[in-house]
Amino acid sequence: MTALVTLEGVTFTYPGADRPALVDVSLELAAGDVLVVTGESGAGASTLLLVATGLAPRVVGGRLTGARRIEARRCGVVFARPWTQLTGLCPTVRDEIAFGPASQGLPREAVLAAAERAMERLHIAHLAGREPAQLSGGELQRVVVAAVLAVEPEVLGLDDPAAELDPEAADALYDLLPAIAAAGTAIVVATPDLERAARVATRAVALEAGRIVARGAPADVLGGTEVAGIARAAGCPPPFPLDVPALLRRVSR
Amino acid sequence: MSGCDVRVVGVRYAYGEQEALRGIDLAIGAGEQVALIGPNGAGKTTLTRLLVALRRPSAGRVTVGDWDVAGKRPDEMARRVGYAFQHADQQLFARSVEDDVGFGPRCLGRATAPVQDVLGELGLRPVSGLHPYDVPAPVRKLVALAGVLVMEPCVLVLDEPTAGLDRAQRERVVAALRRRAAGGVTVLAVSHDLGFVAEMADRVVVMRDGRIAEDRAARELLYDRGALAALGLRPPPAVEIGLALGLTGQPVRAEEAIAALKGSRWRERQL
Repeated sequence: MTALVTLEGVTFTYPGADRPALVDVSLELAAGDVLVVTGESGAGASTLLLVATGLAPRVVGGRLTGARRIEARRCGVVFARPWTQLTGLCPTVRDEIAFGPASQGLPREAVLAAAERAMERLHIAHLAGREPAQLSGGELQRVVVAAVLAVEPEVLGLDDPAAELDPEAADALYDLLPAIAAAGTAIVVATPDLERAARVATRAVALEAGRIVARGAPADVLGGTEVAGIARAAGCPPPFPLDVPALLRRVSR
Repeated sequence: MSGCDVRVVGVRYAYGEQEALRGIDLAIGAGEQVALIGPNGAGKTTLTRLLVALRRPSAGRVTVGDWDVAGKRPDEMARRVGYAFQHADQQLFARSVEDDVGFGPRCLGRATAPVQDVLGELGLRPVSGLHPYDVPAPVRKLVALAGVLVMEPCVLVLDEPTAGLDRAQRERVVAALRRRAAGGVTVLAVSHDLGFVAEMADRVVVMRDGRIAEDRAARELLYDRGALAALGLRPPPAVEIGLALGLTGQPVRAEEAIAALKGSRWRERQL
């Protein structure tokens, strides 16, 4: 599988920062990947999204050293705070979601079809005529995800994409990811929601102070779930189960 | 500071044509720990904003202790009700974390505010000299919460206080709220995080379409699989473990599940 993004020994420092946010990071992203990036706040997971999708340093500034190749034609990023990426130009949700495909110069029918398809995927067709500024945080987050999907990115970065969502919508969003990846997209998700991430990840990396400290199968990397914490404290020997079904297989009563 | 009761009677609110609250009656006793849950767009945030006079109901009445909120300005309400916004960036403006946390007490001339204690409690001392916008978004959320806690209000209204936090940060928030609860402070927390709800709430109020759909003891609701499924919710891990293993005492908090599981025999992982 051809890599859509390759990072080799990449170190990235934000403008004005006295130390790098990412240090000597190497990884590849290919179509079909759902790579989950985890770490404590400030470990560099969100920065890795910006670097892997080309937004850093091109948009945010700063200095990148090492080798980075982005072969993908289109990268999309969903930020953790959805209102920061509204255009502010669109009177309705439909227009907001159509904005990306329209900017690509597609014919009107294709633009509208892409918008409708994206709204259906996120179950927000009922919001199509609403004004984005009047939506709740969770509704807005789904609008933003739909707007990014509408441009059919080859690399999709999601920064804690369910932070604003109710559990049903959060599950629905994570459940979408395997199919999006299978259709030819590389997905990279930065999130502290390890339970949901563990369900869809094909690979995972853990960051500490900007460095990759663990990489591999989700079960081996995402050890910080609540269930893992309960199992560890209750005396389960490692490796700790990440979810309840795994815990039930380990305990005998 | 001990708590005040909160009463919401016959409250309605509309954003233009869009009715967000369609008749809410809710009484929260002084010192109660209540979680407010429900799908996106149910009206949870709107309801909380009425409690601090950030919005005015089109009908009905809201009281906090002996104050009628209709006669108060938001800055007056802030002396009694601490409000942490869903998006912390809406309430941070000082040049350092420490200055921001100390802003409220400074305005009120309170020289003895527990700024350092609250910074320590939420793990913010290492960043206290940084600009709030130079720390990661989840840390900013803790800074905003610290600014609310340091005012020592008798009611805490928190909108999604754990969204985006990692486990260690969430545990700090839970511990801070339990300390306030032990001191009799009333807490109303909007949350989608049922694990957090299980850790902090005695009672859960469920909103749907601008109305209250359920209002029950937390343990009772969390062990009602049918009710949770109807709301599109999965039980938090401690409850799932309790249900699957038939653990005694119906654990809802992680520490309760740990206590019930201790002494279990564990199998090595099958590869």
